[in-house]
Amino acid sequence: MNLNYSGQETIAAPHDAVWKFINDPASIASCMPDVLSSTVIDPHTFDAVVGVAVGPVRGKFTFHVTLEPQPDEKRLNMKISGGGFGSVVDLTAGADLTTTNGVTTLDWTGAADMRGPVATVGGRVLDTQAKRVITTTFANVKARLTPPG
Amino acid sequence: MSTTIDPEPYSVGVSMKRKEDQRFIQGHGNYVDDHSIPGMLHLALVHSPYPHARIVKIDKTAALAVPGVLAVLTGEDLAAHNLAWIPTFHGYDKQMVLCVGKALYQFQEVAGVIATSRDAAHDGAELVDVTYEPLDPVIDPFVSLTDKTLVREDREAKTNHIYHWEVGKRAETDAALAAADVHINERIVFQRCHPAPLEPCGIIADMDPATGRLTLIMTSQAPHAHRTVVSLVTGIPEDKIRVISPDIGGGFGNKVPVYAGYVVAAAASVVIGKPVKWVETRTENLTCTGFARDYHMDVEIGATKDGKVTALKVKTVADHGAFDAAADPTKYPAGLFGIVTGSYDFPTAFTELDAYFTNKAPGGIAYRCSFRVTEASYAIERAMDILARRVNLDPSELRLKNFVRKDQFPYPSQLGFVYDSGDYHMTLKKALDKIGYADLRKEQAEKRARGELMGIGISTFTEAVGAGPSKHFDIMGIKMFDSAEIRVHPTGSAILRAGTKSQGQGHETTWAQIAAEELGLDPQNILVEEGDTDTAPYGLGTYASRSTPVAGAAIAMAARRVREKGRNIAAHLLEAPLADVEWSDHAFNVVGVPDKKITMQQVAFAAYTNPAPDSEPGLEATFYYDPPSLTFPYGAYLAVVEVDKDTGAVKVRRFLAIDDCGTVINPMIVEGQIHGGLTEGFAIAFMQEIVYDASGNNLNTNFTDYLVPTSLETPHWETDSTCTPSPHHPIGAKGVGESPNVGSPAAFVNAVMDALSPLGIEHIDMPLTREKVWTAIQAAKK
Repeated sequence: MNLNYSGQETIAAPHDAVWKFINDPASIASCMPDVLSSTVIDPHTFDAVVGVAVGPVRGKFTFHVTLEPQPDEKRLNMKISGGGFGSVVDLTAGADLTTTNGVTTLDWTGAADMRGPVATVGGRVLDTQAKRVITTTFANVKARLTPPG
Repeated sequence: MSTTIDPEPYSVGVSMKRKEDQRFIQGHGNYVDDHSIPGMLHLALVHSPYPHARIVKIDKTAALAVPGVLAVLTGEDLAAHNLAWIPTFHGYDKQMVLCVGKALYQFQEVAGVIATSRDAAHDGAELVDVTYEPLDPVIDPFVSLTDKTLVREDREAKTNHIYHWEVGKRAETDAALAAADVHINERIVFQRCHPAPLEPCGIIADMDPATGRLTLIMTSQAPHAHRTVVSLVTGIPEDKIRVISPDIGGGFGNKVPVYAGYVVAAAASVVIGKPVKWVETRTENLTCTGFARDYHMDVEIGATKDGKVTALKVKTVADHGAFDAAADPTKYPAGLFGIVTGSYDFPTAFTELDAYFTNKAPGGIAYRCSFRVTEASYAIERAMDILARRVNLDPSELRLKNFVRKDQFPYPSQLGFVYDSGDYHMTLKKALDKIGYADLRKEQAEKRARGELMGIGISTFTEAVGAGPSKHFDIMGIKMFDSAEIRVHPTGSAILRAGTKSQGQGHETTWAQIAAEELGLDPQNILVEEGDTDTAPYGLGTYASRSTPVAGAAIAMAARRVREKGRNIAAHLLEAPLADVEWSDHAFNVVGVPDKKITMQQVAFAAYTNPAPDSEPGLEATFYYDPPSLTFPYGAYLAVVEVDKDTGAVKVRRFLAIDDCGTVINPMIVEGQIHGGLTEGFAIAFMQEIVYDASGNNLNTNFTDYLVPTSLETPHWETDSTCTPSPHHPIGAKGVGESPNVGSPAAFVNAVMDALSPLGIEHIDMPLTREKVWTAIQAAKK
C-alpha cells in the first residue's frame, strides 16, 4: 500500500534555528506523536518505539530513523523503516526550507509503503492515520520553534 | 425385543429431523479447538508481510526469551527432517511448508513458535526477527504470463506458466464461429473468493512416544487421504497414524488441502514428544488457506440469427497463486471445466486454459463446487444471456431453443462428458410458471416506461459431480471410490461407518435413512460414524458433491449385501428354500405369501442366536463403490431484482430455485443445503472478493473486509424440485449440496444486467457492489 502526502508549515523562526532543530534526532523524536520511548544512536539516527492503533490493530512499532541533511540544497531527507506485529513500513520524507524576512517555510513531502496486517486491516483508516502522524510531527516542529505568545 | 416397526416415516424421501442437531443446538458439538490433551503445547505461525522477498536472516533470540516458548521452527529446521516441501493436491507441484529462501506471497508462513500456552506462542511469534530483501511482486496473471518477474526460482522451467490444458475440436469450432450469423465474445471474470468456513482450520498432533503412534485430531474433509499423505511424506507407517476428524464447522473445500500449520504441529509433536495444537485465526484462514475461482474467461458463442447455438469456445487464464495447489483430480488439471457447454446442445465446442503463478496465496480449491464447475456454469450462463440480447430473444426462449432434449440422454457432450439424465425443458417451464414469469415481464415493461430498473435473471445450469469413476479420477494416485460398512446388532439396531466426513451436511441422518430404507430398520437406531481412520472404511472424503453419489451408493450397496445375507437367515426362519424368499415392503416373505413376514430385526437376532446352518454368524457387510459415471444434477434458478439507479443498490425481490438432484433422501436437508448455497452465491455475486493491491497486500483479511451475509442482507429463498433419477446410481440420487452455489451467481448477475440493459450495460464483473453498479450507470449516462 503506497501513500503519499505533502504539506507546508510556516514557522516564525530563522533558517538556522529551524535547520538546527530538525537535524537534531532528539528534537525530531520529541515531535512525533505517540512516541513511547526513543534512543538517539548518533547525531543522525535514532530509534523510536511508537504506539500504533489502526482499526482493530493495536500495538507497538519500532522505527529506525535516519536523518540525511543536504545543507547545500537546504533540504533534509528522512528515512524511516521499521514495523511491528508482522507489518513493515518504509517511509521517506523530505523538507525544503526557504526563509524570507525571518520566517521559514517548510515544504514537506512523505511517501509510505506499508505491508502486512496494518496495511491490510487498516486500509480504511490507514490513510488518515498516516497523514495525522506526519502532519502532527511537522506541526509540532512549528509549535516548538514558534515563540510563545 | 421389538419385532415390528413402521419404517415408512423414516425411509428415503422423508423430511426426518437431523439427528445431529440436538447436540449442535445444545452447544455439544465437539470441534478441534474443543479438544485438549494434558501437557498440550501450542503453535503460532510467523507470516511474511511481503508478497515476494528473500529471507536473509531469521533471528529466534527474542522469541526464545519469551517465558513459555520452547522452540522456533523454520524452513531450514524442517529441511533437516525432509519436510521443507510437501507435494500439492494432485502431486504435479510441491509447496513450501515454511519459507525456504524466499517468501512467495503475503502472509506465507515463515516460522512456527511452540510454547506452553497459546498466548506465549503468539507473543513469541511477534518477536521472531526476520530480515527480508523485498522483491518486485507479480500480482496480475496477465503480467505474470510475460515472465518478466519469475515467481518460482526453484522450478526447472524458468517460467510462470504452469500448464496448458485443452479439450474439444479447435479447428472445427473456429470455423463454426467464423461462419456464425451472430458471434459474441466476452471476457467474464470469476473473481478470487474464499470459502471462509465459520470454523477455521486446526489440528492437535499427538505423538505418543510410548506407542510410536501419531494421532492427528484435525479439520479434515478427507481423513483417510490425509493419513496416506502424512505417511507418504513422513515415512511413518500408516498403521502408526490415526486421523480423527471431529465435528467440523463448515468445509466448502477449504479443509481438503494440507496446510503449514498441520505439518509444523505434527513435526513438532514428533520431535518434542508432546501434543501440539494449532488453530488458525480468521486472518490466517482468509490469507493462507485455499482460495477459490480466479478464472479469467474469454467466452465466444456462435449462433444463427434466430438464436440456435452453433459453437462454443472458451479461453481461460487461471491465477493459481504461488503454488499449483489447485484441488483437482490428477487427470483433470482444470477440474471438470469441460462442463462449460452447460445444458445446451452445442454442435461443436473447444476450451483451453493456461494457468500461471503469481505472488498470491495458493489454492483453487473446489469451493462448494465439483472442481471448477462453478466457473464453467457462470461463464456459459452469463454468455447465453448476452447472446439472448444480441439475437433479441427472451433469455428463457433462447434456453428452451438450445437445451439438450430429454430424448438425447444419455447425452454425450462435445467436451467429453456423458450426461446421465434430465428434462431441462420441464424444469425451466416449471420455474417460469411458478414465479409468474409472464406477469413479471409485464411489470418490468411498465416500470421501464417509468424509468425504473427491474431485472429478471435466469440460470439453467448443469453440474458434473460424484467423482468419481476410478478409471478417470484419482488424487495422488488414490482412486476416488468411497466406502461403507454396516453392522446390524442382535437387537436390530446398527452402526454404519463411511469413508466420508460431514461438515454440516447432515450425514448422520441421511446415511441412516438410506440404510433404513434398504434394511427396513429404524434410522433413529442406526448410528453413523465417520472421520476416524482407525474405525471407518477407507474413503476419499466429502467435497465436490461426491458424498451422496459415491458414499451414498456404497451405503445402499453395503445394505443390500447385508440384506442378501439376511435373506439366507430369513429362509432358515421361514423354513423355505432361499429362492422362494423375497424382500418386499421392508421385510422378507415367501413369494406369494406376503402376510407372513420376517423383519430385519428378527433376522438380526437370529444371526447371533440362531444362524442358518452352514452359514457365517453375524450380520454385517462392507462395500467399496466405484461409480460407473459422474452424476449430472441441474436446476433452473430465477432472480428478480430492483436496482436503485441513484445509488447502485440492488434489492433481490424474489429468488426461485428449482433443483433436480434425482432421488431426494431428505427434502428438509436438501432445502437447507440449497438455502446455504444460495446465501453463499448471493455473497459471491454481490459482496465477496479477495483483492490484492499493486504492492501485493491482501485487502480482505477479516470479516469486516470480506463480507459474510447476515439475515439482514440475505433474500428470502423459494425452492422446489423436479426429479429425474440418475439411472446408474443405486437409489437414483445425484447430489445437491453444491448446486445452489454453482447456479445462483449467474442468476443474480443476469438479473442485474437485465435491469441495466435499457442503459446499454451488457456486463459487469462480480461482485456487483453498489459502487460498481453506480459507476456503470454513471458511465452509461455519458
